[in-house]
Amino acid sequence: MHSDKVRPLRGTRVIDLTWVQVGPQTTRLLATFGAEIIRVECPYPNGMDVVRQVPPFTPNHATPDGGRIQGAAPSTGIPGNYNRSALFNNTNAGKYGITLDLNHPKGRELLKRLVTTANVLSENFSPDQMRKWNLTYEEIRQINPQIIYLQTTGMGKAGVYGNFASYGPTAQALSGLTFMSGLPEQSLPAGWGFSYLDHSPGYFGAFLLMAALRRQRDEKIGCYIDMSQAETGLMLSGTSLLEFQISGRPTTRYGNRMPYAEWVPHGAFRCKGEDNWIAISIQSEIEWRLLCEELGSPEWSRAGKFATAASRRDNQDELETLLTSRTVELDRFDLMHRLQLRGIAAGVVQKAPDRLDLDPQLKARGFYVDLPSSEIGTWPVDGFPARLSRSPAKVGGLPGRAAPKLGEDNQKIYRDLLGLSDAEISALREEKII
Amino acid sequence: MSAEQNLSASLRQVTVIEIGDQSGDYCAMMLAGLGAKVIKIEPLEGAPSRKLGPFATVDRDPESSLFFWRYGLNKKSLALDLDHQESGAILTRLAAHADIVLLSGQYLAIRRQLELWRGIAADRPRLILCTITPFGLDGPYRDFTATDLTHLALGGIMAMCGYDAGKDGHYDTPPIAPAMWHSYHIAGEYASIAIMAALHFRDLTGEGQSIDLSINEAVNTCTELSMPIYIHNGEVVRRQTARHAFVNPSPLRLPTSSDGVRMLAAVSPFPREIKSFVRLADECGIEHQLTSAEFAQTEKQNPAAAADYRAELVERIVSSRPAQQSFLRAQHHGLPWAPIRRPEENLEDPHFISRHTFASIDHPELARELSYPGTVASDGAEPHMRYTRRAPRLGGHTHQILLEAGFTPAEVEDLSARKIILDRS
Repeated sequence: MHSDKVRPLRGTRVIDLTWVQVGPQTTRLLATFGAEIIRVECPYPNGMDVVRQVPPFTPNHATPDGGRIQGAAPSTGIPGNYNRSALFNNTNAGKYGITLDLNHPKGRELLKRLVTTANVLSENFSPDQMRKWNLTYEEIRQINPQIIYLQTTGMGKAGVYGNFASYGPTAQALSGLTFMSGLPEQSLPAGWGFSYLDHSPGYFGAFLLMAALRRQRDEKIGCYIDMSQAETGLMLSGTSLLEFQISGRPTTRYGNRMPYAEWVPHGAFRCKGEDNWIAISIQSEIEWRLLCEELGSPEWSRAGKFATAASRRDNQDELETLLTSRTVELDRFDLMHRLQLRGIAAGVVQKAPDRLDLDPQLKARGFYVDLPSSEIGTWPVDGFPARLSRSPAKVGGLPGRAAPKLGEDNQKIYRDLLGLSDAEISALREEKII
Repeated sequence: MSAEQNLSASLRQVTVIEIGDQSGDYCAMMLAGLGAKVIKIEPLEGAPSRKLGPFATVDRDPESSLFFWRYGLNKKSLALDLDHQESGAILTRLAAHADIVLLSGQYLAIRRQLELWRGIAADRPRLILCTITPFGLDGPYRDFTATDLTHLALGGIMAMCGYDAGKDGHYDTPPIAPAMWHSYHIAGEYASIAIMAALHFRDLTGEGQSIDLSINEAVNTCTELSMPIYIHNGEVVRRQTARHAFVNPSPLRLPTSSDGVRMLAAVSPFPREIKSFVRLADECGIEHQLTSAEFAQTEKQNPAAAADYRAELVERIVSSRPAQQSFLRAQHHGLPWAPIRRPEENLEDPHFISRHTFASIDHPELARELSYPGTVASDGAEPHMRYTRRAPRLGGHTHQILLEAGFTPAEVEDLSARKIILDRS
């Protein structure tokens, strides 16, 4: 085979029991590099991925051969239809999908047959769920000694809080990440406007699985990976723990200001229009002078109060008010381009429409990828943020599409992979196991 | 778990050369956590990340930067005058022993290094050459300058984080960039994944390749609901204090414990959570109507009022006891509650101690050990990532690395005498 056709994870099969956000992130990334992801889902609503069942939904008018071209519109979904979740469509791109009731003993037997053919089993149920099903690592290892088993939980399965319940934000609160974001105390923590710890541990999951897969190929050894979202949060807490241990000072918040370098001003400044902002980071005296010139007030940089980074830091409230009095009159994109021409780090605080419809850089790099799905047609999904010259990322994965419909690939997997007859598949369907 | 199953040495045969600014430090540290040998090649005055605080002892001393300490774990440092005409020949000899070269920084700042390494890679087809730049190696913003703050702005995270608007819908406060350095974290995680993919590809084909990572794109992937809501519904989420950005506002609920700690203590209207909450309320001796027919009626007809009622009970439970007690009791009953801790409040937490979450790193200059967050996963007994060595002193391994790469002691001495390298071995 010509090397151009080789996918990095060629021949890797992942049995994907994950749901919601953090687990599916991991398997999406493996799909991107050529692994075969078989997403195993509960066939009935109260065990099914909740993301299939909650908004945002794709507009009701979207059809299989249409998609975004038919236009966006608010939707409350179509009762009884689990194939129209917008988030699910993005998070599960590139995967095959089958249904299987793991609460049924026959379902678990079928899962074990799948697992014997697989390299990886990945799950992020409540911490104790796999034990209840007798599908723990030790049990799975008996039937597939080389399996790599990724279990993602809020706290981490080993340890005192091993069975604690957690969503991403729970782990985020405990880890310190929620506390660290926001204006100084007296103000509440601003926290995160989304679940960061449903993203990063998902990336780490892919990183560790890919390390484990190389070893599995070379040395025929599997492993158990007990991934902790809270531990990941600590990994991402920057220098705060070191600073505390050395100085004894408790961690505090700085808003958008820069406590760790002489970078002043450093913040978000209001621009023309409702809730429009630009972020500006001044990293040197020259940049400060250029900013003042660009804003039409070179005298600011000579004023004693603002002449040095130290004096600007001491007078930061006043400085920010002064700058805002000028930026509020200006168009945010126009200002960004003018400042960038002078070599100043400036970036518009972009919202989704700015990023998808206007951002010329994302467009030029082809970041958003249009992928078809069998029920809702073709919609953009997130691309992979790096270009690999020899083995490029393909977010559509082996199936070349966005997320699977519920049970979309039952036939392919049960008949072609496991070798079940049509009669056996029908019987499973009648018993509501698939 | 048997030791052979642990992943902390899984990259032991991989050598990484890291050159650049603060946007690449974390990626290289991740690789070092799995056993890769990471050589940080620094200019003679030290890598740019040594200028970032906070500082341990002496303000602005390059050996005192806690940023460098934190993200320099397990690495070795070679100090080389990268502007000197002989540096290219030295790097070419070092490249013979490298699997991965990681260049990070603004495009214009790394352009010369990139050209040099492209030339080296042409003769070394197994080499993996990864760049981490603000916007990637092409496109109209390629030469834009950026910081962590401006990345979080352009990439969409910042617009989702901050404080509630007033009743009139107008925001009095700016969007807030979550602290600290998360654009580099996200970029580093993706770069590590891309490098892993390139290693797999090389295992299969014997060929290296180049990787062009854009920090801007990495941040763009990390915004959860905001983009699907816009793409499919044409709606734009609005930031809210300490909760998800949504199209429609939700009530702010952050009850305070008797010892003054804010708690994340919500009860979702799922039957299982409601049952757990009834058990907790009963245990706490709180009178409630949660199991009454009347409340079931309210739940159906006026879910917002039912949620308010539950929140009122939560407030009573949380405010009447210390945070840790609410946390443990709620979790005992299966509720996903947690205190909003400072990071350091986890240092003595028995859970993280039992998982060996923190690596103890010896700092002779402080005559003590410091605890560093050192892993994200365990093999059931031991961490899958392992950090054992403090960040290097500038040029602390110059001598050793050059000798290992086949330089003679006389050559090293000569380079040192001519101040092309800095040797502090």
